[in-house]
Amino acid sequence: MIEIVHLSKRYGSFQALEDVNLTVQPGEIFGFLGPNGAGKTTTIRIMAGLLRPTSGTVKIAGFDIRRSPEAAKAILGVVPDRPFLYEKLTGTEFLRFLGSLYGLHGPSLEGEILALMELFELEEWKDELIENYSHGMKQRLVMASAILHRPKAIVVDEPMVGLDPRGARLVKGIFREQAASSRVSIFMSTHSLEVAQEMCDRIAILQRGRVIAVGTSDELQRMAGSSDRDLESIFLRLTGGEDVQELIHALRSSR
Amino acid sequence: MSEVQVRGQAGSVSSVLGGDWLRLLRPWWLSSRRRLASRDRRERIRSAVFLGMGCVFWALTFWGFWRVLVYFQGIESVGELLAAKLLSMIFLTFFALLIFSNVVTALSTYFLSDDLELLLATPAALLDLYRAKFFETVTSSSWMVLLFGTPVFLVYGVVFGAGPLYYLALLLALPPFLMIPAAMGVAIMMLLTNIFPARRARDILIVIGLLFGVGLYVLIRFLQPERLVNPEAFSGVLSYFAALKAPSHPLLPSQWIYQVVSPLLLRFQGDPVFFLAMLWSTAAAFLILGGSLAQRIYGQGWSRSQEGKKARFSRSAMADFVVRFLVLPYPERMRPLVKKDAMIFLRDPTQWSQLLLLGALVVVYLYNFSALPVEQAPIDSWYLQNLLAFLNLGLAGFVVASVAVRFVFPAVSLEGKAFWVLRSSPMPVRDILWGKFWSSLFPLMLLAGFLVVASNYLLRVSTFMMILSVGTILLSTFGITGLGVGMGALYPRFHVENVAHISSGFGGMIYMILAIGFIGGVVLLEALPVYLVFHARFMRQPLHLWEYATMAASFLLLLSLMGAAFWIPMKKGLAALEEMEL
Repeated sequence: MIEIVHLSKRYGSFQALEDVNLTVQPGEIFGFLGPNGAGKTTTIRIMAGLLRPTSGTVKIAGFDIRRSPEAAKAILGVVPDRPFLYEKLTGTEFLRFLGSLYGLHGPSLEGEILALMELFELEEWKDELIENYSHGMKQRLVMASAILHRPKAIVVDEPMVGLDPRGARLVKGIFREQAASSRVSIFMSTHSLEVAQEMCDRIAILQRGRVIAVGTSDELQRMAGSSDRDLESIFLRLTGGEDVQELIHALRSSR
Repeated sequence: MSEVQVRGQAGSVSSVLGGDWLRLLRPWWLSSRRRLASRDRRERIRSAVFLGMGCVFWALTFWGFWRVLVYFQGIESVGELLAAKLLSMIFLTFFALLIFSNVVTALSTYFLSDDLELLLATPAALLDLYRAKFFETVTSSSWMVLLFGTPVFLVYGVVFGAGPLYYLALLLALPPFLMIPAAMGVAIMMLLTNIFPARRARDILIVIGLLFGVGLYVLIRFLQPERLVNPEAFSGVLSYFAALKAPSHPLLPSQWIYQVVSPLLLRFQGDPVFFLAMLWSTAAAFLILGGSLAQRIYGQGWSRSQEGKKARFSRSAMADFVVRFLVLPYPERMRPLVKKDAMIFLRDPTQWSQLLLLGALVVVYLYNFSALPVEQAPIDSWYLQNLLAFLNLGLAGFVVASVAVRFVFPAVSLEGKAFWVLRSSPMPVRDILWGKFWSSLFPLMLLAGFLVVASNYLLRVSTFMMILSVGTILLSTFGITGLGVGMGALYPRFHVENVAHISSGFGGMIYMILAIGFIGGVVLLEALPVYLVFHARFMRQPLHLWEYATMAASFLLLLSLMGAAFWIPMKKGLAALEEMEL
């Protein structure tokens, strides 16, 4: 469903991404792990069509995001790391506006909006201006907007940042349900090892713009030759060296 | 709230001992210095252009005032009196502007600035915070007045042959003159935030400020201060002198600074030292009182400014109805975007309140035409009326461009940080940009058409001129709008805090220069055919074939210019927007 081929990105002399190759199957929850500055957000922004790659391609259900952006974006949902929205619209108006961008109209859209507002526990705030929402509420509204048009794939940047435990559990449940029953592929970046271990079918580890390992928790464990099932220990075994110490330290401190 | 207050009061003991507030200014100083010393080429070009424009403006102000003062000097007996009156009016205007500008700046520096949360969490004393932020406020709100005031003060010194004491007195009097309105502005803002949440306070202030500006502008226009230099307009000499000598209030600091410099400039009796002492002692007293006020109420105001973020706003059903009606003429696929923009426009006072300015501009514009004494002119009034209608085209174009720089140029930038929503949606960038174009074009055409039709009606011009003017201005609006939307996409400012700042940046300035050039080009290209028609009528001769050919060539060139002004910026803007990385 999602295909990333030889993806590279340079900012001037800085190599943010280097030859990234990944595939995400329908219904799969794919974790994208790495410390701050590893290139996770850059990858997600390229997938969403907000950044241009220096080389390589991203395909969503076979549509190249650069060559057929409209077709690719029509079946993609995006949740950025910071929920910047139109502050002077209400939650309902925002979802209505977004729905219309995807060609949705009429009573079916209104019904869908109402259902999503309830699902994300925002019904009490549906007619309030977004500027009055808390960070967590904005985050949930963006997630509602990402599944409003029933996408085939969703890319999410740091989904749990700013959510309280109740909100985090709600979002995890919705993502699992989307993947299991609607066969939606979810590409999720995170720097939290717990979230990755709990939710993801497969995990890629990104460090300094390069993918250093991909696989299920078990596969990563085998690659690492570790008896310990803890993802943190797998990292250490798998990659070794000074760089990894730094990575582990960063991951530990971000928890 | 109480925590901040208590810490501030406890901290004030330590702040008496030294200038800790200077340390709080360090990040501001470092970032200002880096911004000035930026090595980025684009940034340098911008700085150079801004500096160049500043110099031109500075030189024009100098030249303009030079002419006025030299003219005043030539008027016997009242010349000096007029110059003095003008100086006192300048100080009064500066003072009023400074108070308002300080109130607005204080809201940002004391309540909305991003560094406040960090600073308030440190053990820095509240009094030091007050002083550091006071310095920031004075600097950012007064530099404009200083920059454009300097040529005026210099001209006065040069024209009236003032000695070094005049310049010294000015140097000594200006700092307290800037500090007094700053202390007042900060105090007013602190009181306001104790009444309203900070966000609301800003909305209210913007509206009040615009009303104030509009009122002042309309008042000056209708009072016609230029009558002061035309004594015949007064019923008698006595009433003229009375109008001239009417003093400003003796308790106004603008009057004090006037009293400091005028005896050293003109041959007036006065006591500059006394008034200089008044300025300094008042500034010092206001600073101390301001510090004490800050310790008492700043904490509460800050706390309320945080609550403001959760204040509930109600939706207006009326606004929804208007918007639904307004989007009907647009194509189906553009309606969501137009509707969204219209709703945000109606709900955001920083955007709609600029309409007040527009209203004032239109009223004054039309008033000027109604007041023109065309019939009393010594030349053929038919000729004059049509000539004026032709010049009016250029003027109307300029007004439309000034409106466009505020409403059309920011169209893309207004998407702000939420632009990712559109960019990650399947709506093509082309539709986004053209949506912005069409939604700006119709209101602008309406305004341009109204301006030209109404002013031509007041001038009672010929049907030929009416048709030509309306046709030209409507077609020019395509160019003005295309240029605005396209340039707005080429120079977007997604991260500005205040939307009014979008048009005051580098891109806005370039847009204005190009728009004025475009309007000038249109007027020039149309001048020849219009001249030929007028000339033929004046000489009572029919038009020749070569004259028809010249007219056709001019109109062809005119249409090409209009097409280029509309098409090229849109094309470049689209390419820039498509390539833009978010």
